[in-house]
Formats: sequence, C-alpha cells, structure tokens
Amino acid sequence: MRRFIITVIAALAVVLAVGGAVVAGTGGGSSVTKARLERSLPTEFANLYADQARLLGHKGVTSASLHAEAMCDKGGAVEADVGPGSNWNCLVSWTDPNVPMPPEGYGKFELDVHSNGCYTAGGPSKLVGFQTLTDTKGREVTNPVYEFDGCFDPNGDNTPTGNEFPSLLTTTTTALLPDAQNRVSLQLSCGTGSTGCTGSVAAAAGSTPLGTVPFDMQEENTKTLHFPQPVPQGAPNVTFTITTTAGVGPTSPATLNMPPR
Amino acid sequence: MSSTSLSVRRDMGTRAVANRPGFLAALRLEGIKLRAQLRTKALLLGAVIVPVAVVIVVHSQPRPPKDTLFGRFATENGFAMALLVLGFASQWLLPLLTAIVAGDIFASEDQHGTWKTVLTRSVSRSALFWAKTAVAVVFALVALVLLAASTIAASLLIVGHQPLIGLSGQTIQPHAALGLVAASWASMALPMIGFTCLALLFSVWSRNAAVGIAAPVVIGLVMQLVGALGGIETLRPYLLTTPFEAWHGLMAAPRFTGPLLDGVVTSAGWSLVCLIAAYLILRRRDITGG
Repeated sequence: MRRFIITVIAALAVVLAVGGAVVAGTGGGSSVTKARLERSLPTEFANLYADQARLLGHKGVTSASLHAEAMCDKGGAVEADVGPGSNWNCLVSWTDPNVPMPPEGYGKFELDVHSNGCYTAGGPSKLVGFQTLTDTKGREVTNPVYEFDGCFDPNGDNTPTGNEFPSLLTTTTTALLPDAQNRVSLQLSCGTGSTGCTGSVAAAAGSTPLGTVPFDMQEENTKTLHFPQPVPQGAPNVTFTITTTAGVGPTSPATLNMPPR
Repeated sequence: MSSTSLSVRRDMGTRAVANRPGFLAALRLEGIKLRAQLRTKALLLGAVIVPVAVVIVVHSQPRPPKDTLFGRFATENGFAMALLVLGFASQWLLPLLTAIVAGDIFASEDQHGTWKTVLTRSVSRSALFWAKTAVAVVFALVALVLLAASTIAASLLIVGHQPLIGLSGQTIQPHAALGLVAASWASMALPMIGFTCLALLFSVWSRNAAVGIAAPVVIGLVMQLVGALGGIETLRPYLLTTPFEAWHGLMAAPRFTGPLLDGVVTSAGWSLVCLIAAYLILRRRDITGG
C-alpha cells in the first residue's frame, strides 16, 4: 500500500509538471476571445430577436434585416479582453423599425462566458423587454431575448471585427448635497465602450455660473466633479450641462433641486 | 506452463491461432461472470429507469433549471430535456457508471484471491487482460445506449417534441433535432471508453476495487474543475472531460465539429496510454499469492 501511495504521489507530480510546462510554454492562451464573442452574439441575438418579433406580431423583422453588430469588452479598460468570466459586457446595435434605439445606438448585454465557449447573455430590458411577454394570442410566453444561452466555435475566426461603440456617459447623482461652503458636486459614470469619456460639465444656479469642470475617464469608471463656486443663498436648483468630446452624454441639461434648509 | 502444452501449441501452428481460442473462451467466461453479478443487472436497470424518473421530476418543476445548458427550455421541450440530462450525466454519471464495472473487474480477482486459479487454466495473462477489457468496454457501451435511449424516449413522450432553439438561436425542426440529440449522446461513447480504460488501469494497479471505482470519478471531477478554470485553458485539449462537451458544436449554426475531432484524438490517446500501462503492469506482476 505504501508503495502504491508513493507511486500515486509521483504520478501526480509528473502530471502537475507536464501541465505546468504546457501552460508555461503556451502562455495559457484562451479560446474565449473578444472577436469570437463579437461574431457569435449578434448572430444568435438576431435569430432570437426575429422569434420575439414573431411572438409580438411585429412586421418586417428578420434576422438579416436587423444588421446586428457587437462590441465586447471584459472587465473595463484595466483587463485584457480574453478568457472566461462573468464580467464580459457586449454592446449590440441593431435596427428594428418597431423599436427605436437610444441616442447611443446600442444596448448593453451582460455575459457570463465559460471556458468551453458557452455563455449566458442577459439583454437590456429597456430595449428587449422583460422575462415574459404577451404574444399576439394574448398568452404569457418566455421572452427569447431576455436571457439566452449560446456557444461559439473555440477554433472559430479570431480576426478582430473592428466594431467600436462609444461609451455612454450618465450622471448618477440624484440629489445634491452641498458642503459647508454651499458648493455642490456631481457624480458621472462612464459605461462600457471603446473610447472612454472626455468633456466638461458646466453648472449654473439660475443665471449664476458655478464653474466648468473638465473630465477624462476610462470606460467602466465613475468620477465625482466638484464645482468651485458656491451656490447663492436661496437658489432653488442647479442645472448641469454636459459636453462630451468622447463618449455619448445626455442630450439635454440635467436640473437637480437644492435640498431645503 | 508445461512442456506438453507448449508442444501442443507448436503442433497447432502459429501462436496467434493458439491464442485465439484462449481469448474467446476468456471473453465468454468474463461475460458470464459479469452477467451473473447483481450490480450489473442493477446498473443496467437503473440506466433505464432513473432517466424516466429524472425527466418526470424536472418536468414538474415550476421554474426550469436555467443554470445548465438547455435547462431553460427543458420543461417545455423534450429535446432540450434530453440534452439537459446529457449535460448532467456527462459530469460524473457516465464515468461512475463505467467505473463501477471496469474498476472492479481486475481488482475482484485480487479481492477473492482467484488470480492463480484463473491463470493456471489454459489461458494466458494477455488473453485474460483483453477479455476483461473487452467485457468492460461492451458494458460501458450497453449502459450508454440504454441510458440514451431511455432518456430520449422519456423526454419525447413526457415533455414532447417541439421545435428546438439551438445554441446560435436557430430553430431546429423536430426531425433534425432528434438526429442531433442522438448524435450528441453518441459522442459520449469515446470519452466514456476513455474513462473505462482509466478505471481498468486503476483496477490493475491498485488491486483494490474501491480505488478502481472512485479514482476515475474523482479524476473526472478534478479534470472538470481544471477545464473550467481561466488562465490554464491550454490544458483543456488534454483533459478527458473535454470531449464530453464537444456535442455543443452540433447544436450551433453553422455547425462546428472541430471539438468532436479533437475529442476523438484525446479519448483515443487516454484509452491507449491507460490500456498499455495496465497491460504492462499486469504482465510484470508477480502473482504467487491467493
């Protein structure tokens, strides 16, 4: 028995050494890549979206007419876009005459990708709807694009697709919180995208300018901008006007009320 | 071996001719021994009955089991149900099913102290080795066929045969889906034979049925874990559990068969290495006890 255990341990050591050598020799390359996802996801999405259109009774939608394209990214700007994980995001653009796209022109899908090349994708509910939908016959049926599973060929085409979409810039501040000098700040969030977000925010309380603050953010980041001028006493609200040079910002100025004193 | 039997062999001509009746006789006897065991009957009966029970239970769930591939359609689509059971079975059930027989088939001779008895009959070690190997492989294939047939039949009869949504979002018509589901189940055969050979190796090597049965299952689970980890995915093609996932390509559009071909190489490699190692260990063993 003792000899057997020694042999088992020796065999394990050999397996580990060979495995380690293989990994070291090849750099641990993964078949899960940005390009393969960018080819697989739009194809599957278009097929399922056409099914959904049939259920909803929407006319003139086929998987080819959607012209779906995707840009995928893993873990923001700091992580390489390769390998399995639940932090893959894909921006998908498509054309459906029945459902207008938002100004940025895409919807964000969240993907959990496994090392075997299979993934689970969750669609943006503001564009594709919720888990169930009511079909033309009035039945509650599962929405095929709300969440779906797919697999891509681990040996498939890996040349970059070149699809690029700008980051979506949003304000995440919902209520102003002035500091002791009655100065305000605004939090910005820069979503997944190829560009990151740059530009400036001008704040004004009525006709009193509070200053213009520039920002330069990487994708999947948040930043708080502090405005130098205090808000005059009695001003009811502050209006923020966002100008972007990279990324897509809000199309109209945002107005936030000052808290009551 | 006595000199008379050697001269008899010479009289009969070439060695191959002399060996053949030995192998066939050993094969027949090993077959009888396996069929007589209660565990064989229980396993084959289980392979027929358990899938029916699983299909009924999963079908009656209010929410489909979405965390497994095809799980989200399993309660409303028979083909998806058959593939859900396939994904589940390939994780540990298929290695276990074959290891229960293959892991015991050599070790039981140690356990019962019968090596000397069987080898003093007119059968060579290699004839006995190949006979036991053949019986274990045939059992694995029979068990797989029964499990597949029972699962597919139960899924289609209980859940139904609606058009299936494939892994590229395409709709697969029932007739094509049946062929693809059957092919997916058939693709389990080679990796399952690989696990059979692994179990045979442990059975010969450890001389202990418990090790022969448990080791392949544990190794299978470890390989699955290694295959699921990120960063060391270059090991995936060498893992015996990877061919169990090759059927995914059949359900995509366009279909891809690269993983299936890689799986043939992987399964054959593991099978060959395990069989050769087991054969050499058995040939060199000093059998004096029992």
